[in-house]
Amino acid sequence: MKHTFWALGLAACLLSAGAPAARAQQAAKGAFPYAIEQSQLPNGLKVVTVPYASPGLASVFLVVRAGSRDEVEAGKTGFAHFFEHVMFRGTEKYSKEKYDEVLKSLGAAANANTSLDRTVYHMTGNARMLDKMLEVEADRFQHLKYSEHDFKTEAGAVKGEYTKNSASLYTQLNEKVADAAFDQHTYEHTTMGFFKDVVDMPNQYAYSKVFFDRFYRPEYTTLLVVGDVKAAEVNQLAQKYFAGWQRGSYVPNMKQEAEQTAPRYVHIQNANFPPLLSLSYKGPAFSDQSKDLPALDVLMTLLFAENSELYQQLVVKEQKVRFVGGAPNMTRDPYLTSIRASVVKADDIPYVKQRIVQALEEAKSKPVDAQKLADTKSALKYGNLMNLDAPDNIANALSEFIWLTGDVQSINRYLALYDQVTPADLQMVAKKYFVPEHLTLGTIGPKDTGGVQ
Amino acid sequence: MKQPILRAAFLLLGAASISTAPALAADVVELKQPSAAKVVVMLRFQNGSASDPKGKEGLAFLTSQLVTEGGTKELTAAQLKDKLYPMAARYGARTDKEVTTFTFEFHRDFLTQFYPVLKGLMLTPSFTQEDFARLKSNQLNYVEQVIRASSDEDYSKFALEDQLFRGTRYQHMTRGTAAGVQGLTLDDVKKFYAQAYGKNNLTIGISGNYPESFVQQLKKDMDALPTATVKPEVPKVAAPKGVQVEIVSKPDALGSAVYAGFPIETTRAKDDFAALMVANSYLGEHRKSYGKLYDKIRTARSMNYGDYSYIEWYEAGGNNMLPVPGVPRHANYASIWIRPVQIAEGLRKQYPTELGDLKVGQAPFALRLALREMDGLVKNGMSKEDFELTRTFLRSYTKLYGLTSAKQLGFMLDSKFYGRKDWLQELDGQLAKLTLDDVNKAIKKYWQVQNMYVTIVTDDSEAQPLADVLKNNTPSPMSYAKVVREGLPKEILTEDEQVANYKVNVTGVKVVDTKDTFK
Repeated sequence: MKHTFWALGLAACLLSAGAPAARAQQAAKGAFPYAIEQSQLPNGLKVVTVPYASPGLASVFLVVRAGSRDEVEAGKTGFAHFFEHVMFRGTEKYSKEKYDEVLKSLGAAANANTSLDRTVYHMTGNARMLDKMLEVEADRFQHLKYSEHDFKTEAGAVKGEYTKNSASLYTQLNEKVADAAFDQHTYEHTTMGFFKDVVDMPNQYAYSKVFFDRFYRPEYTTLLVVGDVKAAEVNQLAQKYFAGWQRGSYVPNMKQEAEQTAPRYVHIQNANFPPLLSLSYKGPAFSDQSKDLPALDVLMTLLFAENSELYQQLVVKEQKVRFVGGAPNMTRDPYLTSIRASVVKADDIPYVKQRIVQALEEAKSKPVDAQKLADTKSALKYGNLMNLDAPDNIANALSEFIWLTGDVQSINRYLALYDQVTPADLQMVAKKYFVPEHLTLGTIGPKDTGGVQ
Repeated sequence: MKQPILRAAFLLLGAASISTAPALAADVVELKQPSAAKVVVMLRFQNGSASDPKGKEGLAFLTSQLVTEGGTKELTAAQLKDKLYPMAARYGARTDKEVTTFTFEFHRDFLTQFYPVLKGLMLTPSFTQEDFARLKSNQLNYVEQVIRASSDEDYSKFALEDQLFRGTRYQHMTRGTAAGVQGLTLDDVKKFYAQAYGKNNLTIGISGNYPESFVQQLKKDMDALPTATVKPEVPKVAAPKGVQVEIVSKPDALGSAVYAGFPIETTRAKDDFAALMVANSYLGEHRKSYGKLYDKIRTARSMNYGDYSYIEWYEAGGNNMLPVPGVPRHANYASIWIRPVQIAEGLRKQYPTELGDLKVGQAPFALRLALREMDGLVKNGMSKEDFELTRTFLRSYTKLYGLTSAKQLGFMLDSKFYGRKDWLQELDGQLAKLTLDDVNKAIKKYWQVQNMYVTIVTDDSEAQPLADVLKNNTPSPMSYAKVVREGLPKEILTEDEQVANYKVNVTGVKVVDTKDTFK
């Protein structure tokens, strides 16, 4: 009975999250509760509009499908992120000072961020200023102009960002884990890049031009507008400001990572920080056609949720762990599926590892209870829906699917896969991905080893 | 098949219809959004870490965590988590100096199922020894280890408050001090719960899609809370004589993280706060590239990741791009945040031939530059043009503060704290009415650079040389790499000269070992 109830509750929720008429129609199409309108300019730029009731406000996102994954040349790690900074250095028409003045007059919250697979430029502000927002964004995407001096100066700010981040041992461990887990693929470095490359950035002016020429192209980019706007208006402005943008031709030559054949291990010795255990298994690439990632997501939610057996044992009853959690990553190429536990006493790291591995092994052989599966699917869907409550939050959710596949509609294809996940799928993905030879272990602890190598 | 929901809703309505008579104590703030999918309930109590009894610093924080992390009379914490799991309902507590806010967010489909949990947690929390031990251990770990080794920026910010409010109940972090947390018992928690969360110091906030009966039910149920008998102790502090610097020395820091501040006697309660907002936005709007501090320290000189100024507490500035509600305070101060700048050791390594014999990194130069900018504003005021542009910016930008209904509701609760109806709504009118003269008057009234506290978290190799430069007011020329210096315009180099020799009114410099902070 409870099962049916939840299923119905979920349907009711999907039907009711937007404006009455449109939402019913949309819900029939997919799990994402708002209508998505997508078009494409002849130069390849995709234009996506999602009308949303945020009176007077809109979010404008430009999603560039280039991130640290695309830093294929040696010595150039961290460049996608560095370039994100350079994009704020001005054009012929709008110098850095003028651009800032325009932004200030728009009163928008504007910024950018870079990750493994993408760089996102975003602005949330007055929807009636949409014309100006698109004008200045289109201008710098097509006509960026910066002097060698400005370029060198910006390199110092990037080193400052590295300096700020490096205060966290978690950041340091992430760097080490990625470096150990990958040998060929560019996922071996984090988005900040290797420190030696960050230090060398002032000398890379010529390369920066190459980088801009390769990736700041319409076929790499999607314009996404969410909020108090209409698709016709967005499309017309996109045509006005972006139609002259020339298509490029570059395709990065990605190296495939060879199969890992033995577990790997990294450690940071520090007596003044809570001990940490991380287990990173090679995971799947994103696909909106395969159930692997949804099944992994469901499985890991179920294994590490606060009401899970493992969490209740390690965190609540034994109190050997302060926090344990894990989730697969959504990435274009196969990356890592990571589990982390903040351990109270470093001596317990081997025990905690053994308990986590035991839970993963059990997931391979023991089918999950149908009710538990249904509850987990409900938790994930409601969790997602609860996040979609502001134009920038909605744009953030959509932009992920844009950078993963280049097609915003993949969000509905992907979410639909969750309904098909069965207990057998959970066992299948556990066997396929929690492979001991594919593991990179990371620890932080007071001794020169975490004791789990 | 949808009957269970309907039946439950009906019961709730029934309950409401009989609850109209008695006058209820708690204030209610409502934000109705009939098309929203979510319901947000906030329960704001006027007690926070400034209500911690002496020697029990961290009690208010721990109590609030124990309420939301535990179970109820009917359900153990584990049963409760099982019940809520498929709903993906979220709830938690934020404890600030003077208020504690419990926020519950759930999908409207679950209104009737979730409500008993909310009610149970607030009125009959389980307070088990097991939960207490776990949460206390986590809190102690934060105070003893995490804050020293995660973000030097947050570290320097808390260390500044430690200096600014020394000897008052505002001094300690909301999570408390090491000794304070160590001494807490479950009985302390139970006692504080009974004394601090009362119907007489509660404001209820509700937003989203809910029936009127729900409001009545909530009011009626919360009326069962006792009468609170404790209050936060709000300090009145003065600026120090001169500039007092504390340098926190820690191993393996890559940079110097700087925070500077001094008390000011204005808050959102006063009309001139809007005037000071304009000046502050011009000097150093949070995470924006158009503040003067950012422009001069980061954009022109590439010294760090960003530089900003504040006229009230800003929660988690490293994560939040826009201010969050839930942190209203009566004791206020202005501050300057300089994100980590390079230390001498790092610069020597990067540029051994050019900067190989450098003794001190860029912190003294950055601090001088920031104070000089603020000083310039105090002396000269803003220009008409800068005033107009900044005001235009704020009139749009502040509309983004309440992007989600939860944030909007939170700001409405904050408004009550400051004796206003809806500060965010009123702000636009206040900004519209402002004149340049109002702003320049507010600057002169509240800002100065002669008397303040400065906290710098830095590497142990940098601490003493930095202390010496500041103590002796030794000129601190900017240490550029050749690649940057070569292309700098003349104005910048001329200004550098002036900054390097700018006198800071330093009257005391102390180096503190990281082990001795937040004890």
